[in-house]
Formats: sequence, C-alpha cells, structure tokens
Amino acid sequence: MGDIKTTRRSAIKLLGASAAGFLAAPAILRSRSAFAQSNVLNITTYDKFIPADFLEKFQADTGITVNIRLTDDQGKQYNLLTAEGANPSTDIVTVVGHRFSQFIGSNLLAPLDTARIASWNSLIPAYQQADWLTTDGKTWGLPILAGFECLARNTDYVEDTGSWDVMFADANKSATSYIVSDFLSITMRYLGDDGDYVTYVDKPDVAQAATNKARDFLIQHKDKVRKYYDAGSEIQQMFINEDVYVAQGWSGPISKLIMDGHPIAISVPKEGTYGFVYTLNVVNNAPNADNAYKFIEAVAASPEVGAAMTRQSGFTSTFAGVEAILDEKERAASTLPADQVERITFFSSVNRDMKNEMVDRATAEIKAA
Amino acid sequence: MTSLPADTTHRAETGAKAPASAPRYAPGYGRLMRSPFYRATLGLLAENRAARLAVFIGVPLLWIAIAHVGPIVQLVRISLLQTYPITDGSSPSYTFANYWAFLSEPLYSLPLMRSVVFAFCVTLVTLIVVYPVAYYVAKIVRPQNRTRALLLLLIPFWAGEVIRTFSVIMLLANRGALNVLLREIGLIDRPIPMLYNYFSLSFGVIYLVCLYMLLPLYSALEKIPNHLLDAAADLGAGPFTRLRRIILPLSKDGIVSGCSLVFLTTIGVFATPILLGGPSTGLFPETIAAFFHGASDKWPVGAAMAVVMLAASLGLAALFMRLVGGKRSARFL
Repeated sequence: MGDIKTTRRSAIKLLGASAAGFLAAPAILRSRSAFAQSNVLNITTYDKFIPADFLEKFQADTGITVNIRLTDDQGKQYNLLTAEGANPSTDIVTVVGHRFSQFIGSNLLAPLDTARIASWNSLIPAYQQADWLTTDGKTWGLPILAGFECLARNTDYVEDTGSWDVMFADANKSATSYIVSDFLSITMRYLGDDGDYVTYVDKPDVAQAATNKARDFLIQHKDKVRKYYDAGSEIQQMFINEDVYVAQGWSGPISKLIMDGHPIAISVPKEGTYGFVYTLNVVNNAPNADNAYKFIEAVAASPEVGAAMTRQSGFTSTFAGVEAILDEKERAASTLPADQVERITFFSSVNRDMKNEMVDRATAEIKAA
Repeated sequence: MTSLPADTTHRAETGAKAPASAPRYAPGYGRLMRSPFYRATLGLLAENRAARLAVFIGVPLLWIAIAHVGPIVQLVRISLLQTYPITDGSSPSYTFANYWAFLSEPLYSLPLMRSVVFAFCVTLVTLIVVYPVAYYVAKIVRPQNRTRALLLLLIPFWAGEVIRTFSVIMLLANRGALNVLLREIGLIDRPIPMLYNYFSLSFGVIYLVCLYMLLPLYSALEKIPNHLLDAAADLGAGPFTRLRRIILPLSKDGIVSGCSLVFLTTIGVFATPILLGGPSTGLFPETIAAFFHGASDKWPVGAAMAVVMLAASLGLAALFMRLVGGKRSARFL
C-alpha cells in the first residue's frame, strides 16, 4: 500500500467534507419520529410488549412504518412528553393505570374514542368497565397487560410459607432482592398500614409515620438483601445465576422465568399485594393519530396478539379468549389461584404526589443506611 | 479596464490551476466539485488565511461548544430551575434551593464522600496493578512486539462498558465460571458470594478503567532511556533503588495523567455500580440518577447534585495534580 500524501488542497477538501457532514448530521441522524408523516406510527413502549410477528404483519397489511422507542420507566415517558409540549414525537405511549392522573392532569393524553375501536368489546369486561380507566366521563387508554407485585422463590431452596415473612427470615440472609420503592409499599401493607397512601389524603403526619415505620423495618433487615434492583431483567439474571433465592418482583419477568422452565414459583402472600395495568394511550396532539387508532384496533382485534404479548412479557393479557390459546405451562405461569387473585389491590392514582415524595425519600434513606 | 485572462479567472475561483487530465469522479461528486459554490468556497479557503484559520479553529471550537460545553451549561441551567420540564404556557423561575438540598442533607452528601473515597482507592489499586504491566510492555517486551502486545491488551476494550460488566457477572456469580471451577476441583461445597459487594464493584470498575492508566504509564515508561537504568545497575543500584530513584520520578507525568483520568472516570461511573454493586455500596451517581428516575422525577435537584459532583471531582483532580505533578500539570485545570 502506497503512502498517503497530503497536500494543502486535500486537507482543505477533507475539512470541507467533514464540515459539510457535521452540518448535515442533524438531518441524517434526526429521528424520523420527530416529524409528522402520513404513513408512520411512533410508539413508546416497554421491551417485549409488542410482538415482532404482529408488528411485521401490521406494517405489511397497512403500509404504515412503525417506529418503536423503548422505555423502562413511567417518569421518562412523562418527562419526554412534557418537554415536547404541543409537538410530541410519539403517537402512542404505554402508561400504567395508576399514573393516569399525572398524564391527564398535564394534558399529555388524548381521550380514547372507543367508537373508533371496533374490537373494544374483546377486552375482558372487568377491564372495559374499570373505574380507573375513566376520568371525567372519558376513557384514556386500551388496557393490554396486567401484572402485580409478587413473591418469587426458587423452589429448590425456599419453602412456600404463604407470607412475606420469608423475605425477612434469617435463613435467607443475603439471599433476597427487591425494588426498594415497590417493596416499601408492600412492607407498609405487611406491617398493617396503607402502602398506597389512599387513606392518607390530608394526613401527611400519619403517612410519614407509616412510611418511617416501614423504612426502619427494611433497614433493620438489610442484611437479608443481596441486591436492590431496578429492571425485570436483573432479577431474572439473579435467579438464573442463583445469586438470590427469594425476591419481590413484577409478575411478568417472574412468569417468564417459569415459562422458560426455571424452578421458580410465584405467589401472592396472605398479607396481600398491589397490582397494575399497562395501557396503550394516544398522545395529545399526536402527529399520526389515525395510524395510532389503526394500531390499537389491530392489537384488540385478535386474542392471538394478546397471547403473544403474554408469552413475550410474562404479564397477563387483558383480552378475552387469550387463556384458551396459551398452553398449559404458559397458563400456569401467568395465572393465580382465585384466593390469591383476591389479595391483589390495584394501585390507585389518588394521593400520588404525597406517595411519590415520601417513597422517594425513604428509598434514598434505605439505600444510604 | 481589461478583463482577466481565462486561466487567471479560473485560478481566482478555485485557488489553483485545473489539472491537465481531470480525475474521474462519481457523477454526484463531480457535479459538486464543478459547482460555483464549491469552487468559490475552496478558492476562499485556499487564498484567505483568516478564512482558513476560522475553519481550522472554528470547527473544533463549535464541536466543543455543542458536544461538551453545551450539555454542561444546560445542566447548570436546569439545576437552577424550580421545576423541569417546563410545561406549555408556564415560564421558568430560578432558585438555589436545589443546591441547598445537597448542603442541608447528609443523606446526599454521604454518598458523595463514599464516591470520593471509593474513587481514590480504585485509583490507587489500579496504579499498583497496572504499573508492572505497563513496565513489562514498555521495557521488557522487544520493541518490534510492543504494538502487538498493546493491541492484545486493548482487545477487551473493543466491547462496551455494559458488555464487559456482564462478563464480570458471568465470572463472579454463584453459578459463574469461578465458583463452578472451585466447586469442580473440590475446594468449596457452597458458592462463595463474590457478586454485589465492594469486591465485585472494585473488580468491575478497575477492569473498566485500567486502560486509562495503562496508556499514559506506557507512554511515560517507554520514554525512559535504557542506558540510565543500565548505568544505575552498573553503579550498584538494586532493582528497588532503580525503581525509586529513576523509574518512578521519570514516569511521574504518566502517573499523574493516569491517576487523574482513572479518578475522574471512577467518580462518575454509573452502569457498573448499578450492575455489580450491593445494598450498601451506593455511589453518588446512583443517588443522582434516583432524582431522574424516581417517582417524583426531580430533575433540577438531580442536576444540582450533578453540578456539585462535577465541581468536586474537578477540584480534587486539580488538587492532586498540583500536589503530585506540580504547577505545570495542574495548569490546564
């Protein structure tokens, strides 16, 4: 290979080309989703929520190009939409039911016109008529997946005690794991208080006392914790590597482990737990709202889509007829005995600000202790 | 007034004579090169020194302003806001309360202290671990093999931070390679918990940052003339004396640069502590992240904490460089 000879002219050319590339970078790198297009749909959702096969078929059938932006946090979606204001770069977001008030209060969601969704009735009636789905007489989203805060244990090492006690047992020293903010609510409930702060409206002193009690209890039992985690994939990894034997988790990632054949059991202990529902929501001023409705209708139209969502995410589908499509193993992993289902209370959107404030602070204190 | 000859006109536009046989370019590139705008621009750059300087200095400055200074300025701005993001129709209001939250709460200042101590320990251990490696490559490996040896050491760094951190998890987990090996050869019955504590965290971070120590050290050690070491040995200096009296003083610049880079990188490292840290190893970047990811989403407080961390780490690095490297080393800070 010959030597590269540089001249003033070649250097200037290179510099000119670099400068042109630099100036053109915003146009090359820009997310197409930031602009309104006729045949595009931009969705912000969680990993493994939208099945790849369904997405491919939807794009082929409609000619709409779907851009998926992954999120792992409700706050990130909220901040993104708030920052973009009247010019959102996404058409559909995935909001959990108990965060509705925050999004609606900031005028970030458009009410869902259920008349435009022909398959609306394919939802299980309990979800169609859920109180939390309707505010000011308007419906704000299409429920797609339901989950709950569960107790997960490795059946090779931990016996079923039917109680959250197992998370604080000396036998499980350095063998437990949980999401601090989530488990704080469960611990409050375990200790006989209201972990969802619904009954603490205008009672900040009572709420603070209950929060502090749970915080101190968790600090007292910190030696049982192997690791605090944040994402579902982390707890899956820890169970697979046998770094932890018992944990609080979201039902989806834990069910997925069971579906994949790992020796894990899922349950709702006698003290109860909290549940949540993910919904697809059309964003206020969505640049491609018509496409958003086409997508939502396609999701609701076939229980096969719901089944694929359950298989991928581990969460329970909200659509009728899905259970019949799942095989026995998948059904066992994603369903609970009736008595345990009754122990689930869905998170409320009441008094969220007080809850967020106190839980965030207690979380920082527990981690720092 | 007479018109200029054709050849000179051409020169005025492009700054040079056209070659006798024009090179063949792809159609688009050829059109671009023939366009009057391109020729005028090229001519301007070729003949005007001020324009050339503006481009040569302006482009890097623009890059630094947009990619490096811009985010920091925005961070400082957010740290002074009362709420962020600012909703439509509302105007921003500024406050110092977010900084006061740091000063008034040991809850937030303690993780910063922990981060500083942790970064200091990691820097020291990295120096001790990497120095012999750098010396081996710079002085023991034959000159014709040095590039190859350096490349071998750099190969793991072709993978990203998260991938390398996961490889540490695969190594240290209860069912990881190390525990499996120890169990297979009969040394242990139960796995040793090596993950999610200061050991795994330090192991992962040192693995992550050792390159920043290796390269400056190698560069400094490689410049030490071998005849100095030979002369010292001839005069009776033992290995330790040669290290203390010749090698360490002459590699001081590399030590200062490497330590500064490792310290600054370690104090701000985020993903690795999240993945390898345990319940009691929380570092300041995790505390900061909680303000952005927490239920309340307090960006301004998080931004204020980030500014505090930036100032603290730069201040400490400058102090270290001033103490160890002298005025010259600390000048750029």
